[in-house]
Amino acid sequence: MNVLTFDSRQCERIRRHLDAYLSNELLVETTSEILRHLETCEACTRELETRTRVRDFVRRAATNLMPPEELRLSIQRRLRETQPGFWAGSRQLNWAVALAGIVVIVLGGIVTHEWVRVVRGRRIVAGVLAIGVADHVQCAIKGHNYPEVANPPEVLRKKLGPQYAGLLEVVHQNLPGFEVLEAHICSIPGSSRKYVHFITRGRGTILSVILTRNDGAQLPSGGAFRTVVAGHVNLYAAREQGMNVAGFESRGYLGFVVSDLDRNVTLQIADQLAPPLNAALQTAG
Amino acid sequence: MTDRRANAQSFETLAMPLFASLYNFAHWLTQNQEEAEDLVQEVYLEAWKSFHRFETGTNCRAWLFKILFHRLHHFRRRWAKAARVEAFEKPEDQESVAAEPPVAHEIHDEDVLGALEKVPADFREVVLLADVQEFSYKEIADTLKLPLGTVMSRLSRGRKLLRGELAEVASTYGIKPAKDQASTGESA
Repeated sequence: MNVLTFDSRQCERIRRHLDAYLSNELLVETTSEILRHLETCEACTRELETRTRVRDFVRRAATNLMPPEELRLSIQRRLRETQPGFWAGSRQLNWAVALAGIVVIVLGGIVTHEWVRVVRGRRIVAGVLAIGVADHVQCAIKGHNYPEVANPPEVLRKKLGPQYAGLLEVVHQNLPGFEVLEAHICSIPGSSRKYVHFITRGRGTILSVILTRNDGAQLPSGGAFRTVVAGHVNLYAAREQGMNVAGFESRGYLGFVVSDLDRNVTLQIADQLAPPLNAALQTAG
Repeated sequence: MTDRRANAQSFETLAMPLFASLYNFAHWLTQNQEEAEDLVQEVYLEAWKSFHRFETGTNCRAWLFKILFHRLHHFRRRWAKAARVEAFEKPEDQESVAAEPPVAHEIHDEDVLGALEKVPADFREVVLLADVQEFSYKEIADTLKLPLGTVMSRLSRGRKLLRGELAEVASTYGIKPAKDQASTGESA
């Protein structure tokens, strides 16, 4: 094993903490000490960059395996099969009685059934659309991860990477009156979900256009829960954390337009964006 | 809506979006598609059976991964696979800093995956839980039923082993091996 010699004992001390620093596990005081050291030490800064790069490589490579759709469907099917027993809440309850109960409920309360379905559907819509709102609030609003002067398009394309760089032009062209300040791939602490995030400014506010792989999250099918249809794309709307969000599903992705603008304005914007994004995602893969 | 229906719905909202994450991870643990599929399926059925014990507001991801490792334990016995690697489990040499080899600025995903496969499973698991799933040390310790110190040393060792493997890849990309840079790179 090669052992490096350091001019500074401080470097050696800092490097022992770098793993915990990278995992955000240090006390504030130690973190400050590391940051102070990094300001003046090029070698340790380079070392941290390399370690961060290795982590990012793994993060990217280890999450690109898409599970078979058939598996998800099979799990959902098996879960549904077990649900009646669970709902009955009694291990002794006989299947026939449970079935009879279900028949009675279906025959006796179509209206109730429909109401439950609508409430459930709405909750699912809100749950899925909350995925986009969470990123807008965390990254754009609380994190303020955008510059006051828009980053140049070539910088944004680089940040998006080859897979998503082409979407920048689509967002730019179909979002009149808004300036794209920032575009990047981001995630929320505690979640491995990746967001393709466009942060834009217009009409006196910040608006996010967000795409993320659906990873099993699905908007309810059928026309009952969608709000409008844009081209061939169903649009769904909800209000979460004080934000209005319009969302759609497209080619394995979920798309969101999130802002504190009026619900109808947000929907109009999504209405313009969803069809071209849907078309562009076909090539993004 | 009854409580149990609400349960079914919140299970779907909380647990199903983690499907891809769990599958990816199960694939890494088992190194086999069929076994990964069986494992994930069992995790969901087990999670659904015990969902009444899940505390709303706590971390559903951590809870599911705990079940995943619990099921994995049964699976490993079933497959009679002794996949644990104990030989590497030695105390970290805290007194010296190993050579920190250079890593290319861009490495193909396949090469990263190849490098990761060469890292022994015990270390790889911790690296994946910390760096991909972004669990805290404590969550990893709870999930794997390991002392916190072991989690920290496995993570540190795992990252080092991985970096060593990636440096090998880097050398095929034309990046200089560690020895050539050791004397110039660390003169802070």
